[in-house]
Amino acid sequence: MIAAEWAELLESPCSLIVGTVDAAGLPDGSRGWGAEVLDDRHVRLLLSTQAKVTRRNVEHDGRIAVTATHFFTFESVQLKGVVTAIEEATPADRIRFDRFCAGAAQAIAASDGAPVDLVMRFKTASVYACTIAVDAVFDQTPGRSAGAQLAPVPS
Amino acid sequence: MTSDERPPIALSEIAACFEGLIPAQIATASADGVPNVTHLSRVHMVDDERVALSNQFFSKTVRNLAENPHACVVVVDPLTYDSYRMMLVYERTERRGPIFERLRRDVDAIAAITGMAGIFKLRSADIYRVVEVEQVLGAVHVAEP
Repeated sequence: MIAAEWAELLESPCSLIVGTVDAAGLPDGSRGWGAEVLDDRHVRLLLSTQAKVTRRNVEHDGRIAVTATHFFTFESVQLKGVVTAIEEATPADRIRFDRFCAGAAQAIAASDGAPVDLVMRFKTASVYACTIAVDAVFDQTPGRSAGAQLAPVPS
Repeated sequence: MTSDERPPIALSEIAACFEGLIPAQIATASADGVPNVTHLSRVHMVDDERVALSNQFFSKTVRNLAENPHACVVVVDPLTYDSYRMMLVYERTERRGPIFERLRRDVDAIAAITGMAGIFKLRSADIYRVVEVEQVLGAVHVAEP
């Protein structure tokens, strides 16, 4: 399901954005703060403890979309699936979170020409972890192919 | 101070977020509750209650909004790197007129800069009413009194 090239992007310090939905159908947008591809179909995603709506949505419904975008090439992939587990961040998660923030801030600063200290204002206070069972993967790179399903391969 | 206790934020107060310097994100959901999330090159402020989004080829987003008119957009202030979360409701689509022309010029400029001329092409300007704006809190806000 998750090809190696997409796993590499997902685990890199990229732009990681998250969509969820509540019981009334209201969508929510927030950020991801680091991801680990556990296997071909499962991703461990770090979410902000300050994003209360996202937390409620993943606890209630669990359906989630995650788009990872490379800061310089804009190469993008979107995962869609269901959150199957939520737990407190482990020490390894917190290391991943710190590395993700540092790497993303460096990339944003290089891209925008802004000081790293200023960019780091985007950093969230703390994270928890969720496991996503991925149902489908989509190309989200800007252009005509945006939205094309990559996996499972459409028949 | 919690987000509930903060005064409402007017769009004019966060006008820098609409300059197109930092991409925004938009989350939508289909009628059966499947979320979708993608980047937007720019969100345009129309007035103090409305924003316009360019419809180019984010087709899943467009399909979702045809089924479910609600969207959540996150914009970033390029001066402070503070983020703002806006809840939107789709209002109307324009395919000509001043708002459409403003978005078309912007899309053409981005296409020229990124070498995507002929690929980035404005199909319509979609107008949304902003029903809620809140600042996305980060670690820096926990540390501040």
